[in-house]
Amino acid sequence: MSDTQTIEATPPTAPVKAGPEKVRGLWSDAFHDLRKRPQVLVCSAVILLLILIAAFPSLFTGKDPRDCQLERFFGAPSADAWFGYDQYGCDYFAMTIYGARPSIVVGLLATATTFILGAVIGSIAGYFGGWVDAVISRTIDVFNSIPFVLGAILILAIWRSAGDTVWPLILALTVFGWTGGARILRGSFIEARGLDYVKAAKSLGASDSRVMFRHIFPNAMAPIVSLVPLAIGAYIEAEASLSFLGLGLKPPAVTWGSMISNNVPEVLAGHPRLLIIPALFLLSATISFALLGDAVRDALDPKLK
Amino acid sequence: MGRYVIRRLLQAVLTIFLALFLLHYLTSLSIQINGNPAYAFFGGQITPTQEQLRVVAERYHTDHPCLKRVGDPCLSNFMDTLGRYANGDFGQDLRFRPVSDQVVMRVPNTLRVFAINIATWAIAGIGLGMLAAVRREKFSDYLIRAGTIISGAVPTFLFVLALKYLAGVWIGGWLRDHLGDDNVLSIIFRPSWDEAHPWLTVILPGIALAVIGTAGITRLMRTSMLENIRSDHVRTAKAKGLTGGRVLLAHTLRNSLIPVVTLIGLSLGGALGGAVITEGLWNIRGVGQFVFNAVRQNDTPIVVGVVSLVVICYLLFSLLIDLLYAVLDPRIRYE
Repeated sequence: MSDTQTIEATPPTAPVKAGPEKVRGLWSDAFHDLRKRPQVLVCSAVILLLILIAAFPSLFTGKDPRDCQLERFFGAPSADAWFGYDQYGCDYFAMTIYGARPSIVVGLLATATTFILGAVIGSIAGYFGGWVDAVISRTIDVFNSIPFVLGAILILAIWRSAGDTVWPLILALTVFGWTGGARILRGSFIEARGLDYVKAAKSLGASDSRVMFRHIFPNAMAPIVSLVPLAIGAYIEAEASLSFLGLGLKPPAVTWGSMISNNVPEVLAGHPRLLIIPALFLLSATISFALLGDAVRDALDPKLK
Repeated sequence: MGRYVIRRLLQAVLTIFLALFLLHYLTSLSIQINGNPAYAFFGGQITPTQEQLRVVAERYHTDHPCLKRVGDPCLSNFMDTLGRYANGDFGQDLRFRPVSDQVVMRVPNTLRVFAINIATWAIAGIGLGMLAAVRREKFSDYLIRAGTIISGAVPTFLFVLALKYLAGVWIGGWLRDHLGDDNVLSIIFRPSWDEAHPWLTVILPGIALAVIGTAGITRLMRTSMLENIRSDHVRTAKAKGLTGGRVLLAHTLRNSLIPVVTLIGLSLGGALGGAVITEGLWNIRGVGQFVFNAVRQNDTPIVVGVVSLVVICYLLFSLLIDLLYAVLDPRIRYE
């Protein structure tokens, strides 16, 4: 009895709370490692700023992006309008600021839905094995056989009438995005299933769901958590590409992808800034998440070191 | 071997069947929830008569009663669709032209784009990965690593646009002024595809499409090389007194290529999505541009037909790769 309890209390990579002893767990070790890297600090600052912009755009601009006056069309940047005006005379700085929200919201929500769905399905497959695993693995194969962007294009093309919300986008990204997380957790659960601490928990009479989510999950979640920032970046990229194709939010809403798409003809008409400004904001988001994600993955996955 | 081939064939048939069912179910569900898609045919301005609606619904097979019951998998409808696919009928666009004819006409150009794309992956991905592994922990390794992270985070459409304006308009304009319009370089650096030079004008967009995949391939190549450099057979080769070049190319590189070739195969699916944007922006008359234009013109039947067709081709292609693997690499054993 006392044996099983000690095994249960100190699983190999459990999150160790910062206690009096100086032994650090995986998470706090990763955190200490990350805190020292300048790349991580810069990217986190950019990401926090973008999230703040997305949450409270009115803090950054007093203008309304929909207040367009045709007589100011293509107005040059000035102290009053930092990025000038577009072809309809809309304040381009205000549009860029308000354009952050769809990108960030889709990135965060799509990551949450795909990872939660993937984690639940993957852990069920890995934990129970047998025919459950066979059915789920085949299902994953089927979803993977449809190229991600083509699948998302199809869903959004047929759900187009749904209107001015982010939900069709998130639905499309989730339907074809959940398989990645599911495969990773399935692997971790298969590995963990036979370990002593799991057998110990079971022999103490813990229910399946308790073993899965209280015992195995905290130990198996590092590989999937390490992919979160990379996934957010990738979904922001996907959202921009789909908006660029005209499959994202509908016109009254402003997104970076649609701003880029609408202003492609203006590049040769002498107004390249209308394309470059939203492109730079979009790149600052995707590159920050990619660099942060790379550092987080390194810190949480000691095998790569 | 024979048993493996049969098993893999059966599995491929089942996967194609289920993937088509998934596409069918998503389409049916959207019709069940959003209502009659026949209205899209007439656009927002015209209010069609009942008779017109009926004709369109018949044409596009949207008149089935099960399409009014939300959640119904519409199995009989699905069987009809499969029967039509088996006869090569992937529907018609809104001008009643068969989708399959258009796709067949456009396939050669898409294959050109993919040829350049795969060549870029092979040359840039394998070359840079090798360089990074050989110069491990040195400046060029860090530079390549940072480069792959950043270039992997640039959306394909931005890369294509940047290349179109920087290389096609700016550099290309200078070349055309100084070397004349018919110089090979001037043709390569044109900002859009030209039917008269189908290969030369596809080089730049092919490279732009390859950028995202190159990042992953470079990283895998580096890891794979590093694993092999430390392995016993490479140490033996060095101990035998072989030259550095031979150890690197014949003993390390060849073994490192196995996972990389697998990744190249897997990345093709992702590149299919990128091809929609690349071909659309570079005016390449390929399958991707077909989808791109259909999306812009709200021509949903094309999107459904082409995506189904592409998924079938993609699955047949992966089947072929898997079978080739079994023939080429005798170490691969299947339970």
